[in-house]
Amino acid sequence: MKTWRTLTLALGLAAALSAQQFKFNLDHLAAKASDTVDLSLNGATLQFAAKFLDSKDPDESKVKKLIAGLDGIYIRTFEFKRAGEWTEADLEVIRKQLRSPEWSRIVGVKSSQDGETDEIYMRNENKKITGLAILAAEPKEITVVHIAGPVDLDSLAELGGHLGIPKVEIGKQK
Amino acid sequence: MDRLEQELKAALGRKDPPAGFAERVLREAARAPARGTALPQRNRPWPRWLAAAAAVVLCAGAGLGYRQYRGEVARQQVMQAFRIASVKVNHIQTHVREVER
Amino acid sequence: MTQLESVQQTGLDFGELVRRHQSMVFSVCRHFLHDRDQAEDVAQEVFLGLHRNLESIQSEAHAGHWLRKVAVQRSIDAGRRRQRRPQVALADVAEPAAETAVRDPMLGETLRRLIATLPETPRMVMVLRYQEDLDPAEIGQVMEMPVATVKSHLQRSLALLREKLARRGVREERWIG
Repeated sequence: MKTWRTLTLALGLAAALSAQQFKFNLDHLAAKASDTVDLSLNGATLQFAAKFLDSKDPDESKVKKLIAGLDGIYIRTFEFKRAGEWTEADLEVIRKQLRSPEWSRIVGVKSSQDGETDEIYMRNENKKITGLAILAAEPKEITVVHIAGPVDLDSLAELGGHLGIPKVEIGKQK
Repeated sequence: MDRLEQELKAALGRKDPPAGFAERVLREAARAPARGTALPQRNRPWPRWLAAAAAVVLCAGAGLGYRQYRGEVARQQVMQAFRIASVKVNHIQTHVREVER
Repeated sequence: MTQLESVQQTGLDFGELVRRHQSMVFSVCRHFLHDRDQAEDVAQEVFLGLHRNLESIQSEAHAGHWLRKVAVQRSIDAGRRRQRRPQVALADVAEPAAETAVRDPMLGETLRRLIATLPETPRMVMVLRYQEDLDPAEIGQVMEMPVATVKSHLQRSLALLREKLARRGVREERWIG
């Protein structure tokens, strides 16, 4: 019985992990963070949640359509009491994975004045979008957002005005 | 200022804090004048965890069932995830615009 | 009533500062966080911070500016911590039963709830503009951002609010007052 439960848990975990297209590798920051957010919603959870989203509500309706084909949404946020708790090396661990051929960086902004770095990556396979990664780092906060699956750029752009998401003009990083 | 802005001014007019706010602040300040930045919690009759637990019990008692509860949790987590993602995308777009100026 | 010492060199009385500025501080927190209990906690934290730093406050006017700036910062910090909890959903905003020519008494509450759904930076810009009546340059100083960015946030937020109000059947031309 125990073996069966262990196997089921392992399979479940594998299923959850397999939707993730890159690893965050940021657990070591949790010990230094004053607050953390950890959301791991695999495909099964998203489809289950979709049943409870209200189609009559404009925002939930848009989100419902957006998550229809997704394989997962993974978010980690770390807040720190003071600057200097994370380093470029922490970000480089993620960037290294996003330098594979499938990923393209489409937005990259760095401000030396306020120590802020913001990057957006898209994953392409067979000329189709299959993932989105957002890396946002400030002196006292790091956020990594990973949406796995056929993220529709037009739908993402249409979310402009909903939940405060602006109409993002997605283009190749120059 | 157009009509919407006038309505916003009316809607966002200053509100007085609950009665006794100033007294509570003065009492706290007198009690520990040189303390660190720890936030002193007000005494509430019901801790939030208890209110949340009561809500869960009520939901279960109302016949919503465990599945409904799980669904509501999942729904809130999905909306929370998109709120966080949307805040970041919005922030990045603003950052891009600032740099482009 | 609890008596506290005044700061000798400037004659500032902490109790008087609390009474004079409590509405401003509480309202910034309240309108940004849309949570009365949390707003009171954060407002209290702001004033206790003032008490710890009272010796560095040079005048009444300085105290007012200091309190506003710290209220903004503490509210944003509290809002970020609260991202882990679901916020007010637009689904909770009551739909008007029908469009009428009478001024919607719920409009104020609708606007406050819609403001609460804005991302943190434009949300605070709107609070400072319409609660505190600050101009974009003053908002830029408080939030340490360029004036152009402030104006951009104001423009986009107003457009967003108009769009959301229109979807709820609240049309500008029908407002009477």
